[in-house]
Amino acid sequence: MGPSISLSHVSLRYENNIVLQDISATLGSGECHVIMGPNGGGKTSLLRSILGLTPFKGEVNIHWPKGKGKIGYVPQKATFEPSLPLTVLDFILLNQSRSPLFFNFNKKHKVKALQQLARLGMEDRAMFRMGQLSGGEQQRVLFAQALLDDPDLLILDEPTNGMDDQGVRYFESLIADLVKENKTILVVHHDISAVRRLQAVVHVVNGTLLESGLAEDVLKPNKIERLFNHYRSHSNHQNEEVA
Amino acid sequence: MDWLRLLANQGAEAGWLSESFAYGFMVNALVAALFVGPLLGGLGTLVIAKRLAFFSEAVGHAALTGIAIGVLLGEPPENPIIGLFCFCMIFALLLHFVRNRTAVPYDTLVGVFLAVALAGGAALLMYVARKINIHMLENVLFGSILTITDFDLLVLGVSCLLIIVGLMFTFNRILLASISPDIAKVRGYNTHFYDYLFVMMITLVTIAAVKIVGAVLVGALLLIPGATARLMTRSMGSFVLLSSLLATLSCLIGTLLPMELKLPIPSGASIILVAASFFLIATVYRIVARK
Repeated sequence: MGPSISLSHVSLRYENNIVLQDISATLGSGECHVIMGPNGGGKTSLLRSILGLTPFKGEVNIHWPKGKGKIGYVPQKATFEPSLPLTVLDFILLNQSRSPLFFNFNKKHKVKALQQLARLGMEDRAMFRMGQLSGGEQQRVLFAQALLDDPDLLILDEPTNGMDDQGVRYFESLIADLVKENKTILVVHHDISAVRRLQAVVHVVNGTLLESGLAEDVLKPNKIERLFNHYRSHSNHQNEEVA
Repeated sequence: MDWLRLLANQGAEAGWLSESFAYGFMVNALVAALFVGPLLGGLGTLVIAKRLAFFSEAVGHAALTGIAIGVLLGEPPENPIIGLFCFCMIFALLLHFVRNRTAVPYDTLVGVFLAVALAGGAALLMYVARKINIHMLENVLFGSILTITDFDLLVLGVSCLLIIVGLMFTFNRILLASISPDIAKVRGYNTHFYDYLFVMMITLVTIAAVKIVGAVLVGALLLIPGATARLMTRSMGSFVLLSSLLATLSCLIGTLLPMELKLPIPSGASIILVAASFFLIATVYRIVARK
């Protein structure tokens, strides 16, 4: 069973730029939560605050039902140098095992890593260098990495970026399976029609938490329009503040 | 070590080994090369992955100042190990500490630290020159197989053991912390700890290798075998193993060759030239293979 997450007055600013302001919410356990909002609205910053990757004001509590569980994380982007001979299999083994890559003769580790890649349809790319993969393929490998420890909480920052249609459908079916297993999933997503298909709880963030609710309630055409209007006014307001 | 030197001497007298092996200092130098080579090559792959080439170069150059400080504080001029160790470690840790707390680009910061260390070293060497034969500095700068003692081999052996044990447990985490620090942090790894640990390993191996490779060139041996192996390998495991092999071969051949050919070349220069020739061959091979 995945954890629930409570946010209490979470605020974050980088010098003069207010990124998040007084966000309070409770994200229920065993559900898929999608964070939506315009670019620069603070979605990634909110995820990073929950993960403890950035300093913030306020409180974030992850309530684990049975002691502290595992967290899987897919960052928005990871940069892999093309000339570094780090293969897809190496990258998974790196996350999976302590046995150094130059001294890893454990076949079980390799079998497990290949199974994980097969789950994301990437087993035939196992010996490719990470830097050779397309953006969508890298996202799949990052997703495979996040699922390694069978995490109870999965936090994904724009996981379908650069993915083709087949990859997106794969991702959606995996999310559905994970929700059935009562995992808690937190995803930043841009694609409104994809979010509708996920049947998730949607949280619209643009500096503050504008709206939370089921996808069919939040993602109505008139509300979407209001969200982007708010974006414009929010940006103007911030510019005035900085000036 | 006496038994090994005796064995090598007997081998040389019987004609199984070259005449060079009859000299005790040559046996010492080859043992040192066998210790240092795999470590420099292995750690070099992480230096490349973490883009710390300039840093390792700076630590090598800082050794010069460390030696000058050691001699000034009364250590024996032929082996000022405490001054060398303390200064290099403080230099590396301070540089890394400042890096995490400033917006100055890392290469600029390393450049500033390197310049300060070299300037300090140059100033102190004027005083040191009154106390010691200035030609001893050539040994420090470019390495000398004549200066390696049993005590050096002991220090080298202990340093190598510490680093190898450390690497066996931390290699994957150090690499992950450099490739994707966020994923490493979410997995609960203390990325700062692994960064500092790596810096300490680099410093330790640099100090250990100064006598054979020299302060000026030790950074190059962290870099060139790794750069060569990167051209030739397809996975991280083979990258580390090939880099270690090339660094060890460079150390062994570079130590032996000047003696065999009776060339008046410092061991450091010879080792780096051998490593560079491997790099040249690999580069040409890649260019030809691409066509």
